[in-house]
Amino acid sequence: MVDQLPNLGREEEMLKEMGVASIDALFADVPESVRMVGDLPLPDAQSEEELLADAKRLLGANLALGDQPSFLGAGLYRNFVPSCVFQLVTRGEFLTSYTPYQPEVSQGMLQAMWEFQSLISELIAMPITNLSLYDGSTAAAEALTCAVRVHNRKAEQKDTVYISELTPPDRISVIHNYCQGAGINVEMLRHDENGCINLEDVQRARGSCAVYVEQPNPLGIIDGGYPSLKEIIGETTALIVGVQPVSLGLLEAPGNYGADIVIGEGQPLGSPITGGGPLYGIFGCTQPYLRLMPGRIVGRSIDVDGKEAYCLTLSTREQHIRRHRATSNICTNETLIALMGAMHMSLLGPEGLEQLAVRNMAACTQLKRLLAGVEGVTLPYDGQSHFNEFVVELPASTSACLAYLEANGVVGGFDVSNWYADKTNQMLVTVTDQTSQRDLDRLVECLDAWTQEVSA
Amino acid sequence: MSRLFEHFGAEGKGYAQPAPMLPAAELNVPSNMVRQQLPRWPRLSEPEMVRHYTWLSKRNFGIDTGFYPLGSCTMKHNPRVNEVVAQLPGIADIHPHQPEHQLQGLLSIYYEMQDMLAICAGMDAVTLQPVAGAQGEFTAVRCFQEYFRHRGEHHRTKVIVPDSAHGTNPASAAMAGFEIIEIPSQEDGRIDLSALRAVVGDDTAAMMITNPNTLGLFEQDIAEASSIVHEVGGLMYYDGANFNAILGRTSPGLMGFDAVHYNLHKTFSQPHGGGGPGSGPIGVKEHLAPFLPSPIVARRAPTDDEKNQCVDDYWYTWHTPEHTIGKVQQWHGNAGAVLRCWAYYRRYGKELRTMSEHAVLNANYLRHAIHREAKAAGVDHLFVDGADTIVAKHEFTLSLGPAKEALGISAMDVAKGLLDMGYMAPTVYFPLVVPECMMIEPTETESKETLDTFARDFCKVLQLDAETLHNAPTTTPVRRVDEVYAARNLCLRHPFDDE
Repeated sequence: MVDQLPNLGREEEMLKEMGVASIDALFADVPESVRMVGDLPLPDAQSEEELLADAKRLLGANLALGDQPSFLGAGLYRNFVPSCVFQLVTRGEFLTSYTPYQPEVSQGMLQAMWEFQSLISELIAMPITNLSLYDGSTAAAEALTCAVRVHNRKAEQKDTVYISELTPPDRISVIHNYCQGAGINVEMLRHDENGCINLEDVQRARGSCAVYVEQPNPLGIIDGGYPSLKEIIGETTALIVGVQPVSLGLLEAPGNYGADIVIGEGQPLGSPITGGGPLYGIFGCTQPYLRLMPGRIVGRSIDVDGKEAYCLTLSTREQHIRRHRATSNICTNETLIALMGAMHMSLLGPEGLEQLAVRNMAACTQLKRLLAGVEGVTLPYDGQSHFNEFVVELPASTSACLAYLEANGVVGGFDVSNWYADKTNQMLVTVTDQTSQRDLDRLVECLDAWTQEVSA
Repeated sequence: MSRLFEHFGAEGKGYAQPAPMLPAAELNVPSNMVRQQLPRWPRLSEPEMVRHYTWLSKRNFGIDTGFYPLGSCTMKHNPRVNEVVAQLPGIADIHPHQPEHQLQGLLSIYYEMQDMLAICAGMDAVTLQPVAGAQGEFTAVRCFQEYFRHRGEHHRTKVIVPDSAHGTNPASAAMAGFEIIEIPSQEDGRIDLSALRAVVGDDTAAMMITNPNTLGLFEQDIAEASSIVHEVGGLMYYDGANFNAILGRTSPGLMGFDAVHYNLHKTFSQPHGGGGPGSGPIGVKEHLAPFLPSPIVARRAPTDDEKNQCVDDYWYTWHTPEHTIGKVQQWHGNAGAVLRCWAYYRRYGKELRTMSEHAVLNANYLRHAIHREAKAAGVDHLFVDGADTIVAKHEFTLSLGPAKEALGISAMDVAKGLLDMGYMAPTVYFPLVVPECMMIEPTETESKETLDTFARDFCKVLQLDAETLHNAPTTTPVRRVDEVYAARNLCLRHPFDDE
């Protein structure tokens, strides 16, 4: 504490100068009836060294994924983040700045965010991108409410949106919270046994405000049916596609198959998982959504000398101006994490992104091949293409399998029964660019041993 | 000028990676899903990339660069050890779907933070899930909504906010489907109890208010306001944006609030990162606790098996509140931000009150110093206090109305003049109730010398003639940016030659 307060020990001097009797006098306007009596029942202040020792002890008790082969993903992915990203993003001028209300002294972050918008626009093939929402789930929710604002007046199915039934339940919960205030009815779209969306069922969504699907879908499947979606639902229903940004090094950008809004969890580009936050939500859209979209946007402009300059633009959509008529309540967003994303993208370049995607999908393909040789383990969606994760059906409960793997130094995949209670024997296995051949061999070896044990 | 999209190196230039396990030709992407054209991204080698972003950083002003008195935003120093803590593998490399026994350290810190925040605000339960103040507001208002539905009080559809409230308050309540009733403040900027009495009723769901308010004044009638709202069955919501002014001196609980959000990034210093990330936990009284988002962290005595994995005397678990509203973020909130704020809190411990006291000391001192220097420089007729008060809290407002009237110098002109003096400008034109408003928050991490120098420089700016100020700034990387041009000639991404 002592090292954080420059005026500690100078209180008297300052009070005297002001003609104020005491610190207490500065709080004289707090009525006695609401004053806090006595000290806060909290522990003593710590020095930096003591704090750091505690942090290392407590966080050291967590199992960091890098310590073992790990196959946990389901929405967040452990990709490598180049060293310069951390070095540069912690420069104080970026780190300790805030929303660029004074553009003349905020050109660095404004230009970086305009470049971020440019990079993301190219990635997802959307003409317009904002400079981040909180995460993928809130981006999905904001996309749906935005689509209702745009289409509701002409919609036959008013206040109604359709989302893929495979959307992870935690994400659906976020969507429900955001939609229910606006009185939006959220309907589910069915999938076929092969894990792909049932295109006939999508017919029901015609005349509604929006359809939301993810590519790859939450089972890891690259759904080849999506290019038909826009034609089925028609012009007055928004097609919203959620993406895993790294996959777009191989997969077609949704803007090129009819998407009106593209959202995504930006984390795999530029950021560690960090326990699930901070992350950054990608949000891009086409022209009709521009003036009703959420979030901050940077525009390129000129200064009074005609020199290239950047500033926030279209702010009249936002809460600090429009108040209760704003398109969203978002104020603080995830700029710094988006900056990490921009830095990672700049280093990768187009071919680097492609290679990153290939590495992910190659490891995934390799693992599928290896698991085909493990007796007792089947792949329920084997016929489909998978980008970096896929479901395996186990001969006994996933929880038993995960315990076995953990005992053998492997962090297994995601227990699908957390999403669908009846899928007790399914595990969603994820690889990333950090997965090595040795990791795959170890997993296969362990699964082999475990299946023999449970079938014996 | 360094432009990212001017670095188009040879094809394949950029970040070197290991070879894939299988050649691309062996991957089976559905033919209609194969990407036809890669994103037209630039290609930078590492030295080019480092130089570009370093160049950008030099065109950006942060707290590390200089004094940043941006009112309402609490731009205090960010201790660097917090960045070290947040990059430890035990947080950076943690997946929220890992089982509880692999995350005991993280869960114990979450519990400690929930507990500390409840104590500081006089609340009974806390969730760390909301990732920003505005999301905290929305979360709390959603909890109110479910609380009323649970009680069969569907008729409570209105949320009251003072006209001086942060824009997020009405925006968040409207997002949850409430109708907004805005009530005028009194002349002195404080809440008008008669205006409040006039609008409360059976249909009142809640009142949202910050205290100290956006003028930096403590709402002395706050307990009375709480009674008025409670008497008609409504709930009181505390916008914690200004909590750093009162921590340890009073609490929202003592003032009669039912719920509060904390701007962790302000009160406990997560670097603001050019616009985020933040963290916006909420605290609630017992009657609202069953509605909090899930999960929150609970603890119990460990079983014998668990004992060897404990980080202290307890076993920490995720707990789902009985009538939870569900999730507002897909995972467990901004864990990295929570960690930084935990590190910050640990440096103060039970002395957190000293932090608030110094925030208030510095604000009052700066207000005094500005008036003192203005008299000495003969510019004291060019501004008045935004509010008539003896003491301010952590921030204060000035009205440049007189300068505007006498000389045609606006608050914005003064702000731009301050940029030329090497400062970040204070918040301008907020709150809206003060004409030509300048809202100044020095924070507790500025020295007396910095405050004195700023006060003198502020007056030097006021001594400049109108034309000079209309032309300011002149020393910044660019001069006044044409925001109208930006809106009329929308250019939101790099234009390629063929477009």
